[in-house]
Amino acid sequence: MEIKTAEYNVWTEGSTIHYEGTLRLSGTDAYQPILDLMQQVLVEKPQNVVLDLTQLEFLNSSGINLLAKFTIELRKHPDVAMKVLGSTRIPWQSKSLPNLQKLHKGVELLIT
Amino acid sequence: MALDFGETVHRNTPSAFSVNIVLAEGPLAVSWQHASATCEFLGDLFAHHHAQGGADYNEARHAIIYLVNELLENAIKFRNPGDIMLLCSLEDGNLELAVCNSTAPAVAEKFQSLLSEITSRDPGELLIERIEANAADETSSASGLGLLTLMNDYGARLGWTFEQNPGGAIVLRTYASLTLN
Repeated sequence: MEIKTAEYNVWTEGSTIHYEGTLRLSGTDAYQPILDLMQQVLVEKPQNVVLDLTQLEFLNSSGINLLAKFTIELRKHPDVAMKVLGSTRIPWQSKSLPNLQKLHKGVELLIT
Repeated sequence: MALDFGETVHRNTPSAFSVNIVLAEGPLAVSWQHASATCEFLGDLFAHHHAQGGADYNEARHAIIYLVNELLENAIKFRNPGDIMLLCSLEDGNLELAVCNSTAPAVAEKFQSLLSEITSRDPGELLIERIEANAADETSSASGLGLLTLMNDYGARLGWTFEQNPGGAIVLRTYASLTLN
């Protein structure tokens, strides 16, 4: 599965979801196709889900809300481990990703 | 009658490094594109200026882009037809941004009740509460999250003034300041 535009690319490989580029969509509705793609991964009942954000240069607050919504969704699947990969090169990730752990204690956050 | 919330006093002097930009009205997709170009431009320009003193260009650039983008997104979503004016300045590591646009009285009233809450609570706590509420309500527009992430994750100081103009519309000025490291 893949959603690709000139600004960003979101795709899945098994139960890993990759994000690349700049995501600056206008709100919850505009992010719905990406949320659908993320939820599709859960349908396969994977043991773990990985969000690879190491190539996502920018995410606006509506996009942060998308990650938060998905994290809250994962609380309903306690048997699915969730890992979030970030990069120290991209400042928003160290600033905003720790909020996901406040929503779901089981989130493993690796910013390297 | 004017109504104020948060920190509305800016301290940068007229000799600060500054840029004025006016974004003309247009279709949403065009305005969105203009917001995107504006935040990238201001982020690069002010981060370069700031980095001349040896500071981290990447950190400064990103923080400025996030700040300008969130405030412009709000201005575009909630404005009445008309221009959006921006004044951005930097002095001694203090970045200040003022965004001015007109908005409808009903929109202003709703925004004021959100601001009363945002400015009277701990932003970190409120951010998590609102994310939870948004996730539970499919119809929620997640409003306020941009402002709360700015306050909590970036340490931005924010303020707003509402002033009624003779035509009935409300002139909204949003003030933000960030200490760049």
